[in-house]
Amino acid sequence: MRALAGVDVDFGRGELTAIMGPSGSGKSTLMHCMAGLDRSDAGSVVVDGLEVSGMRERQLTRLRRDRLGFVFQAFNLVPTLTALENITLPLDIARRPVDRAHLDAVVQAVGLADRLDHKPTELSGGQQQRVACARALVSRPAVVFADEPTGNLDSTSSGEVLGFLRRSVDDLGQSVVMVTHDPTAASYAHRVLFLADGRLVGEVTDPTPDSVLAALTALRPAPAPAGAVG
Amino acid sequence: MLRVALRGIRAHLVRFLLSLLAVALGVAFVAGTFSLRTMMSSTFSGIVDAAAPADAYLRPPGGGAFTAEGGTGSTGTVPRALAAEVAEVDGVAHAIPEVQGAIVLVGADGTAVQSTQAPSMAFPYVTEDPAIEVVEGRGPSAPDEVALETATLASSGFAIGDATQVVVGGQVTDVEIVGRVDMGGPMAGATIVLVEPETGYALFAPDGGVGDIAVYAQDGTTAEQLVDRLGALTSADVEAVTGQELRDENKAAIDEMLGFVTTFLLVFAAIALFVGAFIISNTFAMSVRQRMREFALLRAVGASPAQVFTSILVQAAAVGLIGSALGVAGGLGLVVGLKAVLGAVGMDLAGSIPVDAATVVVSLVVGTVVSVLAAAVPARRAALVPPVEAMRDEVTVPERSIRVRAVAGLVLTGLGAAGVAAATLNSGPDTMDAALGAGAAAVLLGVLMLAPGMARGVLGVLAWPFVRAIRPVGRLARGNVVRNPRRTASTAGALMIGMALVGAVSVIAVSAQQSVAGVVESQTNADLVLRSATFDIPKGAITDVAALSEVGRSDVFAAAALPVTLDGDDAAGTPYVAGVADDLFDRTIEAETVDGDLASLADGEAVVQESAAEEYGWAVGDTLVVTGPRGPQDLTVGAVFSTNVLGAAVVVRTEVLDGLVPPEQQLVDTLMVSAADGVAVADLKNAVAEAVSPYVVVSVLTQEEFVSQLADQVNQVLVILYALLGLSVVIAVLGIVNTLALSVIERTREIGLLRAVGLGRLQLAGTVVIESVLTAVFGTVVGLVVGVSLAATLPTVYADDGLSELVIPWGSLGAMLALAVVVGVLAALWPATRAARMRVLDAVSYE
Repeated sequence: MRALAGVDVDFGRGELTAIMGPSGSGKSTLMHCMAGLDRSDAGSVVVDGLEVSGMRERQLTRLRRDRLGFVFQAFNLVPTLTALENITLPLDIARRPVDRAHLDAVVQAVGLADRLDHKPTELSGGQQQRVACARALVSRPAVVFADEPTGNLDSTSSGEVLGFLRRSVDDLGQSVVMVTHDPTAASYAHRVLFLADGRLVGEVTDPTPDSVLAALTALRPAPAPAGAVG
Repeated sequence: MLRVALRGIRAHLVRFLLSLLAVALGVAFVAGTFSLRTMMSSTFSGIVDAAAPADAYLRPPGGGAFTAEGGTGSTGTVPRALAAEVAEVDGVAHAIPEVQGAIVLVGADGTAVQSTQAPSMAFPYVTEDPAIEVVEGRGPSAPDEVALETATLASSGFAIGDATQVVVGGQVTDVEIVGRVDMGGPMAGATIVLVEPETGYALFAPDGGVGDIAVYAQDGTTAEQLVDRLGALTSADVEAVTGQELRDENKAAIDEMLGFVTTFLLVFAAIALFVGAFIISNTFAMSVRQRMREFALLRAVGASPAQVFTSILVQAAAVGLIGSALGVAGGLGLVVGLKAVLGAVGMDLAGSIPVDAATVVVSLVVGTVVSVLAAAVPARRAALVPPVEAMRDEVTVPERSIRVRAVAGLVLTGLGAAGVAAATLNSGPDTMDAALGAGAAAVLLGVLMLAPGMARGVLGVLAWPFVRAIRPVGRLARGNVVRNPRRTASTAGALMIGMALVGAVSVIAVSAQQSVAGVVESQTNADLVLRSATFDIPKGAITDVAALSEVGRSDVFAAAALPVTLDGDDAAGTPYVAGVADDLFDRTIEAETVDGDLASLADGEAVVQESAAEEYGWAVGDTLVVTGPRGPQDLTVGAVFSTNVLGAAVVVRTEVLDGLVPPEQQLVDTLMVSAADGVAVADLKNAVAEAVSPYVVVSVLTQEEFVSQLADQVNQVLVILYALLGLSVVIAVLGIVNTLALSVIERTREIGLLRAVGLGRLQLAGTVVIESVLTAVFGTVVGLVVGVSLAATLPTVYADDGLSELVIPWGSLGAMLALAVVVGVLAALWPATRAARMRVLDAVSYE
């Protein structure tokens, strides 16, 4: 049983790339391998010019700390720290000085300037995800991995978070890789990759919700109920 | 549901093993305490039975009770000659006049044969006495022959036929060991020497008065018949009792003595169980929280709240029962170990470890009930989870407000502090001891309840250096310990209690040392202090020392415990009455005269200690009736004085004491010696040490040595307390390990997130270590503050009893704090390793 086989893909800098596919298609595994959270048995993963596959735990930690940003579906924030402390956490861990101007720009972009002293429990789900995005971006990582970042949000909050991720690519020049099962979310990307049974099976550039849905439908022999994907 | 509950235990084995350990520890102390008490009680009962095996006794009215010191406190005697009349009574097989006295036996190594605090006694060997059985050799039949009890012979290092020396009646005598005897039971380390009867009676009953007459019945005569027939020989000074009555009295007296020890041990067992309950309830609270979804799922598929509640209680009962069983085994193991240790130092206890049903049942019930009660609160919470929670990702459990508890704690602390303050302000009367004790207990309990409320503030301060120095680990650790103040406070509870005790005791001990040292230096003018290991300096040593040319002056402090009654009053106490030289107060001891004139001592009047005067209501001019073996005497109180050098309540001139008690029966516990003019202290010491060396047991100390010997005694008390602290540290470490391990499991997601954003393994482990250290230091700081402040009130309360100076041992307190840091680091090792080994992917991926 292998989760991924023969996947050969490049993610461009300054792009928002979405990965889609049904449950068990290997999209999460792909992202975990790229992010150094999981190991591939064979093949190689190169991030920002560095070979990730052979790295030791210590090197992986440094990689995640210095070159990667993460946004998860939930549990993004440390409950004992304020929003601001959560945002600067990667810098604190790396003991790097905070670039005030960049921090302000990021905070401004996510629209949380007045909520920085609040604990995560005092923020709404959408606000928490925006704090998580700001945290992922504040250290200027080579790439941000977002794993179902809007999976727990209503459509308005989803729109805010996705709009912010897209702007971070367009305005701040970041690179973002996002795993999602939501065609609307995928439509915010520059490019959408489709995985099925551990293989790369399709690609759509400059997607719209309709073109994504059409591509998904084409992957399946018979249309499945909307809730069955994930 | 039962199957679900038991499967749950198997699935979360590590978690339950920790609770199991907590229960086992708490119960081990309870079981150990009970069986230790039973064992001690049965040992002493054995001694009592062995010491009073006869069918009936003739004794002074109400007297003759078992005294550990060897009968010196006896107040009346029975004429020895009465034994001959008793022997003529119908049905009497033997009538044996019994008497005993202090003796020093010089062992094979040249030192006195003596184990710990056990007495060293001599008895006349009466051939027909059925209580004494010669098992080897023969009984002593000449003044220079002795027989030794089996255990005594073993610890002396001699064999039968060896020659040695004894110090008895104040003289050193050469003797030959001619036999080994058994006294019918273990003697708990007492040194027992049998001497030739006429020598013994001459030494210990010079006036012909013996302690009692043991009467053995012929076959067919009951003890009651014997007592009836002996009635003719009784008088106002002699009564007849059955052996059983005497043994019961003695046992009651011993149980009373042991009662204190038992209470002391039980208090510690209760603390252990109390802290164990903390750990158990912590464990269940956390494990329930983690399994909230499981319970919600059970509810969703149709389980009633009662079923969920019951399933958790079943788990708790299983843990409690197994833990208690382990605890009982552990407790008995503890007693076996203790018995071995005591045996090694010469304290021979009864053979078997008592496994009585009561101990086992009580321990099992206590452990199980505490476990079930501790689990009941979280179980109730789990039972009330709405089933829809199962659908949610994050199940939140509302934390109960800690306000109610904080208010109760505040009230209790306030009341306790008021009690302590009242005791401080009205120092003196005995009722204040109770106020002080209850107040101190209330303050400790109140602070334990307040601890969750204080945790945030105190931990904020304690964590400050970490937050500043180690970014961002310090801040993360602080966040984790203040996140759930109730849990942190419970975890720190064991250390809090232990440290409060140690803080208080070390302050008291150091203050007492300092006070004693101050007293000895300022209130005595003597160059040397002579003391005896048997608490009685042989008379020969006293005369030998006085005869030395280097000695300018020697003061004998002879004493006897005698009933003293205020004239016209019948409430009698038996304080120590000391006989001293007329000019003692001018020369050797500087005492403060509270009232009257100390010179009245020379006129044959009594001078009394201020503390005793207050206790018994004596004043200058009162007449005291003092009753000694030689009869009662009326003494006028001539003065009230205050000094901490003399322990005796009543002081009279030597001649007066001699008129009350024959000199042979007086105890001389201290001899103070001053050098003659022009003699250096070092020369004096050499001369005196040489003079007393034949008497083996006498130690010669300069003032400084005397002070440091007193300090050593205080240190021995401290060692026991540190051993008990050791126990509370063990429990504390386990509690912290328990809490940390569970909270690491609970924070799996958060840890995954931190690792994902770049927190290194060492940094993560560091966070857990700092959390642990903060928890331990929190408990220690709060405990020490409580203990030290409570103890700081004592010098005000007990100034009259010699505790006059307050010294705070900053060094020891610092050491305790350092110990807390070590405890924190040790406790964190395993949980921190576990956290660091956690796979990031497992932590961040959601099913």
